[in-house]
Amino acid sequence: MSRPGFVLEVDERTPPLLLHSGESFRLQEFPLGSRVIYPPESLPGVPDIDEAIEQALLHPIDSEPLPELLRPGMRLTIAFDDLSLPLPPMRKPDIRQRIIEHVLEHAARAGVDDVELIAANALHRRMTPDELKAIVGERVFRSFWPDNLVNFDAEDRQNLTHLGKTEKDEDVEISKRAAESDLLVYVNVNLVAMDGGWKSTAIGLASYNSLRHHHNSHTMVNSRSFMDRHNSQLHSSAWRMGQIVNEHVKVFQIETTLNNDAFPSQYGFLTKREWEWSLRDQTMFLGAKRGIDLMPAKARRKLFQSMEAPYAVTGISAGAVEPVHEETLTRVHRQQLVEVDGQSDVLVLGLPYLCPYNVNSVMNPILAACLGLGYFFNMYVGQPLVRKGGAVILNHPVPWEFSTLHHPSYVDFFEEVLSVSTDPKVIEQKFEQQYATDPWYIHLYRTSYAYHGVHPFYMWYWCAHALDHVGDVIWVGGDRRAVARMGMRSASTFADALEMARDTVGSSPSITYMHSPPHALAHVK
Amino acid sequence: MSSLVKDVRQVARGWRWTHRPLPPRSAEPHHSFPEFKEFPTDWARSRAAVTARQAILRGGLLPLVRAETTLKVAGLDVLDDIDGPVIFVANHSSHLDTALLLTTLPPRWQRQVAVGAAADYFFDAWWRAVGSALVFSTFPIERGGVGLSETPIRLLDEGWSLVMFPEGTRSPDGWTRRFRLGAAYLAAQANVPVVPVGLVGSYAAMPRGRNWPRPGRPEVHVRYGRPLRLQEGEEPRSLGNRINTAVATLLDEDRSDWYAAALRAAGGQTPPSSGPDVARWRRVWASTASPTTRHRRAKAWR
Repeated sequence: MSRPGFVLEVDERTPPLLLHSGESFRLQEFPLGSRVIYPPESLPGVPDIDEAIEQALLHPIDSEPLPELLRPGMRLTIAFDDLSLPLPPMRKPDIRQRIIEHVLEHAARAGVDDVELIAANALHRRMTPDELKAIVGERVFRSFWPDNLVNFDAEDRQNLTHLGKTEKDEDVEISKRAAESDLLVYVNVNLVAMDGGWKSTAIGLASYNSLRHHHNSHTMVNSRSFMDRHNSQLHSSAWRMGQIVNEHVKVFQIETTLNNDAFPSQYGFLTKREWEWSLRDQTMFLGAKRGIDLMPAKARRKLFQSMEAPYAVTGISAGAVEPVHEETLTRVHRQQLVEVDGQSDVLVLGLPYLCPYNVNSVMNPILAACLGLGYFFNMYVGQPLVRKGGAVILNHPVPWEFSTLHHPSYVDFFEEVLSVSTDPKVIEQKFEQQYATDPWYIHLYRTSYAYHGVHPFYMWYWCAHALDHVGDVIWVGGDRRAVARMGMRSASTFADALEMARDTVGSSPSITYMHSPPHALAHVK
Repeated sequence: MSSLVKDVRQVARGWRWTHRPLPPRSAEPHHSFPEFKEFPTDWARSRAAVTARQAILRGGLLPLVRAETTLKVAGLDVLDDIDGPVIFVANHSSHLDTALLLTTLPPRWQRQVAVGAAADYFFDAWWRAVGSALVFSTFPIERGGVGLSETPIRLLDEGWSLVMFPEGTRSPDGWTRRFRLGAAYLAAQANVPVVPVGLVGSYAAMPRGRNWPRPGRPEVHVRYGRPLRLQEGEEPRSLGNRINTAVATLLDEDRSDWYAAALRAAGGQTPPSSGPDVARWRRVWASTASPTTRHRRAKAWR
């Protein structure tokens, strides 16, 4: 029986607690009275995944069963989430592979010849053939690569369709193939509440022309939070765009939810409550930490990036986008929601080695900030875990390190843009257009494995709500120069960070530590 | 190297030599009890263990108790007329209580008595379980609401007497807490008499937090009462109330005399053993006073 998530109050019995910090982790003692949010334990997965998939395809919500939507001579497009989901990558076979195989079985039975698979990577980098194969599986890859299994190219003007404008004058421009299909099947992995719904098609298959309407500082500041669809302007915009998409193409949405088994069993201590660690867990912690700390950086990165999560699938829903997504959200909440009573002065976050944009890559300072202030800060519904004007203490080494292959525009953004201003609104006005239309970045995005030129701006906008809300951001163990470039401060130890936050929150602040990953979504009353 | 030492120290802070984790208080409602696996104690009732225990109790513990406390025992004659096993039920305010009971029992009873001890305290580490089972003849009792063990009823069937402290834990202020009904139900089920025992002064001598009697040979009294049996048609709950009253009467008797206590008991006016309803410090103050011997030896020469 899985135990629910809960809020621990640190007392003298509480042992030091695990804290992620990039490609390492440590134990940290917290002041008495600090609150610690523990995610619910993993829910059991569905007993038979193949049966669950078939059940979803044959009994969809507000839609005809999939076989009835398939006919010979039709254009079928299957779009799917890219490698930014789930995190860490799922142990094979990936759930997307299993679902796509089922969909294709039905399509073959119906005699559908014109099938195309598109990775809905929007302005994310293209995936390598191996990365694509890891998601769709060998059989699908061999059948469709390279002509009919493609990364979405948001800069291929010939293959984009402008479907119209929303009532708020937002352009809806998505993949031409998807827009002109008789049926668009979308296969998603709903790791957190932010994913899925109309965000899948209206954002994943959209161009810059469309994305700029919601990926901007104003929308982000007013998305409170990204994890709460009904209070997120980002999602409101995506839902408006979704209505336009819906008028032009029949979308058959398949959403999947995962449990909290984010780490392989040998790293079980990462998901266990510390006072329940066995001798084996303690030994594993000491051995793993020591080994990781002594490892050369390259080997350490390889070790972390090769980690695959033994996620179990907690449910699969298919059918019309909106009712499917409501079902999905219920399941995500069941796995992640924790009731929290009120805000605190200080929020402590331990940032792990991975965010959606550095799979098989380097977590540069901008991505570290986005992970902490964009994603983790926004893991709430209701109100933020930290009060207005409070302090956020982040744990990450923030190395001044960039992948020139994956993040070329980040390098320039960090050097040129952040050195002028760190205000999302200012940099949006002064620099965004230049980076979004830079031909060299577009070339790298289309032909290499680079994130789009505008992507670092989006990462900085993700932080906009947190930057607007909190009074102080302090990085424990962060590279001083890199942190200072982002307009923040660095502390050597947690105690120093608390000392530095005194000016903002006083000498005896209330502290909340979000013990994550695995994910917890705080419902703050 | 220093970082490794630091890591080991931090990990060690979460280490418990026992098998049971100690969850922070706010995590306790979410602590699921593992399946109840009773620590085996049958070996502690073997002939060899009994012989060893007799030697320890009579040769070691009794002299020690006599050396460290001023021990007074009364009412042992009630045991003369009983043959079969009984359940000794006593108030409980100190770790001294078990030692007082076991060392004051006549050898015949001492050889075949077992003491119910909290599984989560005495049996959470193997070394503590083995030690207490050998010296005090303990068997584990789960007090966390897990299923009732078969052991006590089996022991009574096999002719072993039991010692039980129905308060479930040591009193925090020396006065008795609510008696649970386990002993009464057990007596009813096994049809054995219950011998009430009043323990006086053990809280003053060695309260919670001390692991050795305070200096000055504090006075402690052990007073055995007449056995109680389940009457025809009586409910175990009613027997439980009588046990409670019997222990309260013994404590009253210790403060006054047998006849005065008997009169008050007959009139239903025995002072409650749970003590007066006053501020906590006054309750602690009263129970930390050493009991004085009321029945002074009559002087032959005035």
